[in-house]
Amino acid sequence: MDQSKKLLIIDDDPDFVEGIKSILDAADYIVDVAYNPKDGLKALQTYHYDMLLLDIMMGRGAEGIMIARKLRKDPKLVEMPVLIITGIREQMAFLFPGEAVHPRFVAVDELVEKPVDPNLLLEKVSTLLQRAEERKAKIG
Amino acid sequence: MEKMENQPRIIIIDDEEVVLDSCTEILAGSNYEVEVTQEGKLCLDLVQKYHPDLVFIDLKMPGISGMQVLEEIHTIDSTIVTVVITGFATVNSAVEAMKKGAYDFLPKPFTPDEFRIITRRGIERRKLMLETIALRREKEMLRENFSAIVSHELKSPLNAIQQNLFALDRELGESLNDTQRARLERMKVRIDDLIKLITSWLRVLSVDISKIRDSFKPLDVPPLITKAVETVEPHAIRKDIQIVTTIDGSLSPIEGEEISFVEALINIIDNAVKYSYVSSTVNIHAWEKSGSIEIAISDTGVGISKDEIAHLFSDFYRGKSGQMTESSHGLGLTISRRIIDAHSGSISVDSESGKGTTFSIRIPIYSPQNGKQTASESELTISSQSN
Repeated sequence: MDQSKKLLIIDDDPDFVEGIKSILDAADYIVDVAYNPKDGLKALQTYHYDMLLLDIMMGRGAEGIMIARKLRKDPKLVEMPVLIITGIREQMAFLFPGEAVHPRFVAVDELVEKPVDPNLLLEKVSTLLQRAEERKAKIG
Repeated sequence: MEKMENQPRIIIIDDEEVVLDSCTEILAGSNYEVEVTQEGKLCLDLVQKYHPDLVFIDLKMPGISGMQVLEEIHTIDSTIVTVVITGFATVNSAVEAMKKGAYDFLPKPFTPDEFRIITRRGIERRKLMLETIALRREKEMLRENFSAIVSHELKSPLNAIQQNLFALDRELGESLNDTQRARLERMKVRIDDLIKLITSWLRVLSVDISKIRDSFKPLDVPPLITKAVETVEPHAIRKDIQIVTTIDGSLSPIEGEEISFVEALINIIDNAVKYSYVSSTVNIHAWEKSGSIEIAISDTGVGISKDEIAHLFSDFYRGKSGQMTESSHGLGLTISRRIIDAHSGSISVDSESGKGTTFSIRIPIYSPQNGKQTASESELTISSQSN
């Protein structure tokens, strides 16, 4: 298990966040939460996180997408694994035609649908963290 | 005149230079951009290049008829406002021009004030037309976004509840007794049903199934059946139901849209599995017969009574027979029927209460000569021998 890895959740639904945070807490991850895009970006710039769990529909629209884009333009954050957790997969199909993630649209690593099965959530988080480790090792 | 950011553009076409000169003079100092020409042909070029708001056309010109210019302008852009200039006492041609889409007419000779007023009204008209189009477009976009918005508002609370049930299930783990575990499981199932219901409900409301025709191409049927069966199989395995597919010989392709057609099959096969008894068989049989592909999906399940068959494909109907044991949201068959309709096909039901049901789909085979299907009758035939 990836003990003491630090994760950030950006999602504007506190109840939903509670549901995934408790699962991640129980798996010994350190979990921070930002309930809006602004706080989320601030947290990302202030602290170090190993991974971001990102909601798409926040505020006035698909503000999660803006966060993912900003992340990929920031040299310090460009390598951070991003797991999108969205309730609007069908509506997002046009954003990600043909596959879960459309690379030209926004570079995220995985997409899961709300509500997310706990085992699937833990599996995705652990895979993405591991992949990031391997990438770091290669670069380093 | 109210000052606008984009100056209204006006084209005047008249074979008399003196008319053009005086019109230009009248409008000089107003907030308009004015282009003039004596040639009908040049006018059309100008319209293409210049995107005018208002065009004045002299109906009597040598070489080209003003009426023809009028029509061509409207094919370029139907929102361009046109006013015809007519010789005195040619009211008939003015009426004809207005039938062809001219907004107004200006009989010669006219005073500067008459010309100014009609110009102003024409520009105002154009402004209103553009506003109407913008509003209509906005309304259309709202309708399209409606499903996204509703889906978000309805599904978010359910997602939050379900996620917490998942977490609770995990946290309580072994400490739950069997009754409590079953209760939690039931809650998860009910919420899951509700999320699925909202999803399919929105699909019925938001998808214009007739649009799938735009992406029709020749399709081989057997791989479509395989795909549909693969999707339904996990449900079947849980009830120890076998799905057996039989294809008679090689089948001609149909013309259709793969994703929706597979969805139609999934709904019907899933329905068969849902209303089948445990450890039974669902048979899928496909064959070609007189210009059509026929697909029969049969179960040996609870069957459907005559009364029920009549409602089977209507929106939000759910079969009574299976209600106690299985949950369903009654939209699957409606969606399937609409998809089959869009494929110029038909779907029919044959059922015997207590003995089983056969759904038969008939789709015309693809004929390359005209790129269209050979038959286009789409009807629901019902035959039942309910006991």
